[in-house]
Amino acid sequence: MALTIISLMKQVPLPSEMRMGDDGLMDRTKAKSIINIDCAFGLEAGLQIKADNPDAKLIVCSMGPPSFNASLKKAISLGYDEAYLLSDRRLGGSDTYATGLAISTMLKHLGYGKGLNEDFVIVAGRQTSDGDTAHVPSQVAEFMKIPQGTFIETASLVDGRIHAKRIIEGGYQMMSLPLPCAMSFTPTGITPRRSSLSGAIKSNDTEIKMFNIDDVGLSTEFIGLGTPGESGSPTIVSKVATIKSERAPAKMSTGHGEKALVADMLENFKSGKNTIEVKEKKAKKVKKIDDSLRVIDFRNGASGILTWAEVVKGQITRPSLELLTPARNLANSLEEGTKVTSLIIGKNVGELAKELIAHGADEVIVIDDDRLEEYRILPFSEAFAQVIKKNNYEIALFAATTAGRELAPRIGVKTDSGVTADCTELLIGEHVHRNRETKERVVYAPILESRRPTYGESKLATIIGFVCPQISTARAGTFAVPERDENRDGSITTFTPTLDEGEFVSDIIETVIGEAGGAALFEADIIVAGGRGTSSDDMKLVKDLAQALKDQGINTEYAASRVMVDEGVIEYAKQIGQTGKTVRPKVYIAIGISGAIQHVAGMKESETIISINQQATASIFSHSDFGIVGQYEDVLPELIEQVKAGFTFGIKAN
Amino acid sequence: MNNVDSVKTDVLVVGGGPAGLATAIKLADELKARGEEKRILLIEKGASIGSHILSGAVIKTESLLELLPDLKIEDIPFDSKVTTDSTAFLMENDSYTLPFHPPYMNNEGNYIASLASLCRWLSDIATEKGVEIYSGFAVDEILYDGDKVIGAKTKDTGIDHNGTKMKNFQAGTQVLADITILAEGTRGSLAKTLTAKLNLDDNKNPQIYSLGVKEIWSVPKGNIEAGAVFHTMGYPLRSGEEFGGGFIYGLSDNRVALGLVVGLDYKDPKFDIHAAMQIWKTHSFVSEKLEGGKILEFGAKTLPEGGYYAMPKFYGDGFMIVGDSAGFLSTARLKGIHLAIDSGIMAAKTAAMALVKGDFSDAELSNYNKAFQNDSYSFKDLYPVRNFRQAMSKGMVLGGLMYGVQLITGGACPMLGKLTTEADNETLNAHYEPSFTERFKGKLEFDKKLTFDKVTDVYYSKAHHDEEQICHLVIDDQESFNNINIAKFGGPAESFCPAEVYEVHTDKEGNKNLRIHAENCVHCKTCDIKSPNNGITWITPYGGDGPDYVYM
Repeated sequence: MALTIISLMKQVPLPSEMRMGDDGLMDRTKAKSIINIDCAFGLEAGLQIKADNPDAKLIVCSMGPPSFNASLKKAISLGYDEAYLLSDRRLGGSDTYATGLAISTMLKHLGYGKGLNEDFVIVAGRQTSDGDTAHVPSQVAEFMKIPQGTFIETASLVDGRIHAKRIIEGGYQMMSLPLPCAMSFTPTGITPRRSSLSGAIKSNDTEIKMFNIDDVGLSTEFIGLGTPGESGSPTIVSKVATIKSERAPAKMSTGHGEKALVADMLENFKSGKNTIEVKEKKAKKVKKIDDSLRVIDFRNGASGILTWAEVVKGQITRPSLELLTPARNLANSLEEGTKVTSLIIGKNVGELAKELIAHGADEVIVIDDDRLEEYRILPFSEAFAQVIKKNNYEIALFAATTAGRELAPRIGVKTDSGVTADCTELLIGEHVHRNRETKERVVYAPILESRRPTYGESKLATIIGFVCPQISTARAGTFAVPERDENRDGSITTFTPTLDEGEFVSDIIETVIGEAGGAALFEADIIVAGGRGTSSDDMKLVKDLAQALKDQGINTEYAASRVMVDEGVIEYAKQIGQTGKTVRPKVYIAIGISGAIQHVAGMKESETIISINQQATASIFSHSDFGIVGQYEDVLPELIEQVKAGFTFGIKAN
Repeated sequence: MNNVDSVKTDVLVVGGGPAGLATAIKLADELKARGEEKRILLIEKGASIGSHILSGAVIKTESLLELLPDLKIEDIPFDSKVTTDSTAFLMENDSYTLPFHPPYMNNEGNYIASLASLCRWLSDIATEKGVEIYSGFAVDEILYDGDKVIGAKTKDTGIDHNGTKMKNFQAGTQVLADITILAEGTRGSLAKTLTAKLNLDDNKNPQIYSLGVKEIWSVPKGNIEAGAVFHTMGYPLRSGEEFGGGFIYGLSDNRVALGLVVGLDYKDPKFDIHAAMQIWKTHSFVSEKLEGGKILEFGAKTLPEGGYYAMPKFYGDGFMIVGDSAGFLSTARLKGIHLAIDSGIMAAKTAAMALVKGDFSDAELSNYNKAFQNDSYSFKDLYPVRNFRQAMSKGMVLGGLMYGVQLITGGACPMLGKLTTEADNETLNAHYEPSFTERFKGKLEFDKKLTFDKVTDVYYSKAHHDEEQICHLVIDDQESFNNINIAKFGGPAESFCPAEVYEVHTDKEGNKNLRIHAENCVHCKTCDIKSPNNGITWITPYGGDGPDYVYM
């Protein structure tokens, strides 16, 4: 039988038009919709595999309301052969675990899976713009018990195996995966093609096959919204708050030519930022929870907090050390004696265990195995599941690194507990639930409240789960690394998981990582960052500006957006953004950076932001205090002249 | 895969504006009445129908009602019926309202509309009648068999800015059609190449154009009533130098459509219609209506104003041209929508007959022209004012005099017969003084509340363009461009482009070169019309690129 390429696709509202309904769920009725950007790259990756395997069949699957048919038709117009939509009101409110379950059930219904047709490859997007979790591809893979590669940039089928380039912090990995397997694609690979007119005409005549959950044999036990701990998705959104932008509209420079533009920026800088009027709000009364309500401790004896200590090149990563801060705070909020345990996996990693204790872990479990020298999703997730099963933790935390963001959801499927992605706040709270039938109100406590920015960083959602361990990933750079104390006590134990050959079917062919470092970025007063618009001279003028400021005695560092790292212009250690560093300098100068949300996440807390971009419509300007629309090559020399003449963005020399 | 993607249709309509949609709707009706089943394919380059549509717009309704005989005026989604209508003459610090309407400018019984909205509505009607509409596809090539038009081809995509095919290359689709109808709107890029290839403009005046720069505002209640129509003459334009005027239309929901329309036959290389519109807004006659409001949308588009004598031969073997591309616009009325629709109706009737006979020859399709010349609605609107614009380009006073004579004689100008004009790209004077920038010194700082620089305005057009494509603004001959456009005229593109696409940059050594910010382009086509020596050619970028107008 010929290969089938299965693309998983989601339709999302245009990021600029996203709105949330009163119930905290996405209101999809009003916004203009598009194919989720990452999914479009997944669709293209499927078409690329097809180009080398002309006999392959291309199918596209989605889950959502019937309006998703528009995007499925678009996929047909790009060259896909068949389209399927799982559409059922009972799926409303499903979390990523439930989504993974539903999609994998549909795929099995279509005849794909272990023991069924196994000649297939799944291509999906890395994450969706309205969810941002990056969980579903991992979860589909685990539900289907097939290997996975996430954060893939390009992939091809060579002699029956998939060769894929996986993007990791500071570099990439070449992987080899057997069929069947699942991959998720980053929006940095081959740009999605446009439809042809003939394709659009064909899509008009193609029927989209729609299923409900009964058609595919899916029960309501683990999907949609149900009763905590009994039915429905394992996690729910409990609260949503609006994140208020603290930044007033940027003062844009006017004038003709770079001289005038820079001079005007200096003027603007002198006169100060625009301000926004903050309306005084009446302090809301804190709702007191009725003491008389029945309290349900759903943990069933689960106790303790587990964190993953990720090791790269023989070192514990900084985000893994950061995790010990929220872990300790959570432990302090729980019963006395709640322990923080770190799990460290690798080859000869025993020595590193002491480092974790010095940073606050009470206990370290070491898995030392030559085969696990490098991180691999299948054996790591299996080992983790075995540790969790043995020790019955109530909470498990991972850093939201590329590894953490695929490992946590895969484990979350093994433990049936669901996962909350990329959190910026983690705390212990309680949740009042009113039973729909009995009308009884009960309190679930203590419960992990995982808060995460969502909908393009405009909302802060609180996610809770009712199955232990409650799993969350924490955004790197959000929490401080706890102080090191060599004299802290803690226990170190070892664990030997049972891992069979099936966990080692994927190979890592090569890992390429640049040097770590860049800690100075956290201390700098001014950061000068370059993006795609500074590639003409490989950021030379960006570095010149940073140097000119240094020469004035200002603590300045240069940095870059993701693109420049990907293109090898600059080392990963200098990358600012969601998958790089989160920084808060006094002045951040964004040059030739468009303002992708991933980048903004890493710099929006800066005190003053100045942007220079030749595209007036670049979204970076809406996160800036001062802006210049102009060409990099013209504006920078002028700005450097001004710095040499003494302009230092209001920062005094040390 | 080298086999060419090909689609066959009976009729291909290129362009989803009022002319193209009217053609498709009327043709579907005519064929249905004759019991014929034919395929009508309409392709639009805008991301959706309406996204590239811009007009004032005050609409004369007769042809729309003829197109949709089952509908009443209340069924049509106009914005407001014209309630008041006046023309003011502006001086720098004063204004007076003319006690009469300039001839043809009476708008009683007309309706204010968003043409973009109207086109969306028409496209739904067309779809219901079986017309297949595909938006977001750009057509960049006419297919010929000798001199016979046999269809058109959509643009290849997945090509980088150097012209190299990328991995996501997608070949365009050949659409083979018995009849191809070009309804591209003003300065259609296919109509332009077709006209050149088949000499369709032999013995015609060159088509001449105006550029309209338009904004839509939301204003406090009471600033202006829905249905109120104001036109202005005078400031900041000067009689004899710049032909044109302003319009201010009150829309529903306390919105205002306003703009300045100026003939592109001006002489000053520094003249800047966008800036002139901003200055115009600062006149109290305009600013009082905007007080306390904010801008919602911005756009710009050219209008073909050459009139009857500048209309090309708009039919031939296998093709017809309708609407603005064929010059169906009455400058005296400042209106073209009613004529665009009428041209569509005439072309559709011709096409229906041709399809029944299976004859798509020049001779058969000449029925379109016969219908037009035979005292048609369009003819009656265009012929009597056939010398209007030519007279006006001689200056408003002399022009008014000559035009007055025409009104008496029914369009003939006894002194001169058929008045001729120069093409717009031949009118600049390199030594013009005083220049626009000198005359309005101190008034070219924009406050971003009432007045906007071009870049800010472009933001409100929602224009975007894929970076990975060949630049759609082509300098055919860089050397002669540098000599003529930059060295001799000082880079008029910087001034005439309303969207800051062009920047003449001077490097440290004093060398000047042109930078093109194609991503700002709002598809008005001014550069294709006004560049001296035809220095710049506008080709269509990828389908879906360009502005995304909502209520223009």
